[in-house]
Amino acid sequence: MKTFVCIKYVPDTSEAVVKINAGGTAVDSSRFSFDINDADNYAVEEAVLIKEKCGGTVTVLSIGPKESEVMIRMALAKGCDDAIRIEDERIALYDPLMVAKTLAGAIKGQEFDLVLTGCMASDDGQMATGVALAEYLGVPHAAMVKKVEMLDGKVKVQRELEGGLMEVLELELPAVLTIQTGINEPRYAPIRGIRAAQKKELKLVNLDDLGLAASEVDSSASKIVLEKLYIPEVASTAEVIEGSDADEKAEKLASILVKGGLV
Amino acid sequence: MRGMMMSENQTFTEKFDLLGCIQCGRCTGGCPVTARSNLNIRRFVYDAYHEEALEELARLAEIWDCTACHTCAVRCPKGLKPLEVLIGLRTMVIESGKTQPTVRDALESVFREGNPWEKARATRCDWMEGLEVKIAQPDTAVENLFFVCCTIAYDPRVQVIAKNLVRLLNAAGVDYGFIDDGESCCGSEVYTLGEDGLFEMIVEDNTEFLNEFQAARIVTLSPHCFTTYNRHYPDLNKPVIHYTQLLAELLDQGRLTWEGGLEKKIVFHDPCYLGKQGGIYDEPRRVLQEIKGAKLLEFGRARERSLCCEGGGGKMWVETESKKERLAETRIKDAKALGAEIVAVACPFCLLTLEDAVKSLGFEEEMRVAEIMELLGELGGGN
Ligand code: SF4
Ligand code: SF4
Repeated sequence: MKTFVCIKYVPDTSEAVVKINAGGTAVDSSRFSFDINDADNYAVEEAVLIKEKCGGTVTVLSIGPKESEVMIRMALAKGCDDAIRIEDERIALYDPLMVAKTLAGAIKGQEFDLVLTGCMASDDGQMATGVALAEYLGVPHAAMVKKVEMLDGKVKVQRELEGGLMEVLELELPAVLTIQTGINEPRYAPIRGIRAAQKKELKLVNLDDLGLAASEVDSSASKIVLEKLYIPEVASTAEVIEGSDADEKAEKLASILVKGGLV
Repeated sequence: MRGMMMSENQTFTEKFDLLGCIQCGRCTGGCPVTARSNLNIRRFVYDAYHEEALEELARLAEIWDCTACHTCAVRCPKGLKPLEVLIGLRTMVIESGKTQPTVRDALESVFREGNPWEKARATRCDWMEGLEVKIAQPDTAVENLFFVCCTIAYDPRVQVIAKNLVRLLNAAGVDYGFIDDGESCCGSEVYTLGEDGLFEMIVEDNTEFLNEFQAARIVTLSPHCFTTYNRHYPDLNKPVIHYTQLLAELLDQGRLTWEGGLEKKIVFHDPCYLGKQGGIYDEPRRVLQEIKGAKLLEFGRARERSLCCEGGGGKMWVETESKKERLAETRIKDAKALGAEIVAVACPFCLLTLEDAVKSLGFEEEMRVAEIMELLGELGGGN
């Protein structure tokens, strides 16, 4: 069993104040903390669980800056075997198709049974990379996977649909699965494990090393233009309900709710 | 003092000196969490002697109930630190990777951002906004180098401790410097959660970082940092004191005065990490006595017998599965029975746990929990 797990280094924007850079097409990330994308963390755990059950190896694949190596080392400490980090500023990272094409370039030509990745990146939320990757690799895929069971030459998966409905699929290997959060409980990478994982191979490559022409994955290849990022102005719609006592206020509130068709 | 750094080939029995135990049971007799947990610390010291039983012991839920209050260590006639057996068992769980998600996230956050609260390092000094804070530079000598603590730096409820302290220091003309966002977690809770490898790394990094500063001493705001630096950092090149010690010193020198007073009955709750572990009992009381109009009460269980609030030992990230009354609630009820209007504390964890207890008991009308710096800030006037 040979598995690739594709992970992304993302900023935690949940609490920090988001500011747009001067150019208007990037976010000022100097005050953010960065970490593995949440869904990718579950993909790493699933890859390691599959390895523990069925044997084989897991290779971590990521496009990201030098700082992201901490995240990669943590994945190696959890049980992945080796890693490839792609860094090349020519890649049009805002376009998931270009990202997928780059990842496919790193996987193609190697034998593999499974490619796992998170179903969505928390920073751009496109949910497209994994699916496009399957297309570029010419293999079947299942998205939003909540359960994985390895069979002989096949993989049985359960997908979570709306309204609590589950869908069961059987895919021929090799295949790409995009993993939904909650599929497992990601383990902790103890520091001793991270230290030991320093010995595992972490290869740094660029487009040339992958044999990809920049014109295939740069902004000229992309059919998308990132125009701008902006923070919408917050319109204040709050209304303070005045009244002499609680009864009067409650009455006013009730009439607003009724008029607005909310009750 | 024997630290937890242990060589790989030492057995559990050797590491924790288990053969020294005479099974007198004084540890269990004093352990506060026996009131609400199955934890029997004497039993663990006995059972851990059998190496083959360790795996099974490490699976028991109650190893996570210990609050690291150190009562067992204070009471042991043989000078053992029984709680370290539990920490050793926790280490086995941590190293297997299969730990509680909350513990995992806290530890990963310490590793990546230097704090257990999953906050960005770059925002560590945001609490300073609007204040005139002197920042220490490694090449400029300063008398008091302040170490803030992750919880005080990031938790909006307890930031007031640092803010009021800065105002007081400025007014009293103290020679001081705070560390910028290069300050990293002291590792107190990393140690008690059993992440031995990470703790070792933190001690190394912090020792190197803090030794760079030309300061006469380090002053910590939290008793947890205070005790951790004093107990587990053998190569630190300056003494470490708690801020209440500095305040007592300033009072002796006549450098602190307040205009206002506080006509209240105040009871001081000894934090385990300041009292039992640090031996600091008088300084916080000395400061509180200075408050005009305040009447200082004492708990029946005070000083080394102080009841733990269950905030330490990594308990901020591990919930004890017990329906029985929280120790913090017991403590607050005791305070109420005494007629206290204010429970004064000198620790951010005690503040959070005891305040929660006041709320869950519905005592907000009659009493409040306040950190000493919070009270001093309310006195107005010069400082
Ligand atoms: S107090 Fe010390 S000697 Fe007595 S049972 Fe506990 S660990 Fe053993
Ligand atoms: S440190 Fe406190 S809670 Fe932990 S075993 Fe000892 S007495 Fe009990």
